[in-house]
Amino acid sequence: MKQKTEWKPKLVGFLCKWCSYAGADLAGISRKKYPANLRIIKVPCSGRVDPLFILKALRLGFDGVLVSGCHPGECHYQTGNYRARRRIAITKRFLEYLGVEPQRIQASWVSASEGGKFTKVVDDVTKELKEAGPNQLFSERRGDGTKTKARSKGTTRARQS
Amino acid sequence: MEQKLRQEAKALLEQGKVDWIIGFEPGSLKFTTTPLITKDKNDADRLVINPFIVNNLADFLPEIKGRVGIVAKGCDSRSIVSLIQDNKVVREDVVILAVPCPGIIDLSKVERLVGKDRDELDDVTREGDKVIIKVNGKKKEFPVTEVLFDHCLACELPTPQEYDILLGEPRPPAPNLEVSGKDIENLKGLTPEQRWEFWGNELSRCIRCYACRNVCPACYCQRCFVEETEPQWVMPVPRWQDNLLFQIVRNIHVAGRCTDCGECERVCPVNIPLRSLTREMYDMVDELFHFKAGMDKEALPLMTHYEQEEAEDFFR
Repeated sequence: MKQKTEWKPKLVGFLCKWCSYAGADLAGISRKKYPANLRIIKVPCSGRVDPLFILKALRLGFDGVLVSGCHPGECHYQTGNYRARRRIAITKRFLEYLGVEPQRIQASWVSASEGGKFTKVVDDVTKELKEAGPNQLFSERRGDGTKTKARSKGTTRARQS
Repeated sequence: MEQKLRQEAKALLEQGKVDWIIGFEPGSLKFTTTPLITKDKNDADRLVINPFIVNNLADFLPEIKGRVGIVAKGCDSRSIVSLIQDNKVVREDVVILAVPCPGIIDLSKVERLVGKDRDELDDVTREGDKVIIKVNGKKKEFPVTEVLFDHCLACELPTPQEYDILLGEPRPPAPNLEVSGKDIENLKGLTPEQRWEFWGNELSRCIRCYACRNVCPACYCQRCFVEETEPQWVMPVPRWQDNLLFQIVRNIHVAGRCTDCGECERVCPVNIPLRSLTREMYDMVDELFHFKAGMDKEALPLMTHYEQEEAEDFFR
């Protein structure tokens, strides 16, 4: 018999290796607890995050995307996070216009010493995503525009790869 | 205007000031025009200026080597300036022949208005604020706003700001945002689910011909992300999900360079209302960063610079 479990949001996080990734590390070293819903991808700078990554993550069925970088003025490459900010601002606003829930695109500034802030960010984001519910954006529809049930994981993968 | 253009074009080629002339010549179908790209000074007599010069010729600029004389309407000149900002075109290598543009007539709107195919129309002429359509020897008059392209109604720059030779009298801008922004307003009245559904349905018609991308002067990447296979960002099969993803990312890529010239919507063979995407992006960029594409050739491209404090509200 299949056991009913609570639905948990799946979240992908693009963390800058100079700050937020180290911040996540610090949270771990300090044995702080944060929800295990976050899948972390290390990027060299938040400026590396192409809006395409965010869209692709949503397309693959992730419920939310978190981009985290250094505080303004503290970028290892001087300007990367400022550029990321413009890009993400546009992406977020544009997706909202198209009808994507605003909770699905998240961004934060977390420095290497802010393990506490990192756990709080992941906590808050997970809570918001729980309210937003599963990502049905790219699930299959019938011809008349009505939605069918979300496809099972297996078929999604097979078609995607 | 047409005579002056022919003289100037001929003189430019004769004096060797340019290697190429890009302009419009009569097309093979009734009323239509087609781009003319030539090195021959005798071809200058084929150049035309009429209310049907639809194409944004700036699209050809990055591909052509040598100095170019280009016929530009207001919107085209903005695309050229945008290309200069991006270092895709050297200002000194371009001679802009500026056409003060009263708006371009959309033939499919004319067809809808009179209920006849364009082959059955005898003549379509413009006189001031009226358009006169002759069918079967009968004259019909309509206000010109009913047949102009939507993006022409919203035009902020009918006369090019950046030019070398001005052909004709400058025209004042008269953007009619109420009419041209109607679709976007309607969309904003819907719930997010309805909007997403709307775009899903619209994009399910997309056959992925990439005409929107190929006609776009801002889309000049050697290799587009949709054609990459390692990793494969977008499946080549035209399913609505990937079509929508392509269109969203394309719009984000051209943010700050898209001048809302409306070419993508015009060329779309399945009539997807792409201008409702580009116009919203255009307004959004203006609102967030006070940036209008192609207005100032000295301005830095939107995505290459930043302010210390801006667009911070959603960062945790």
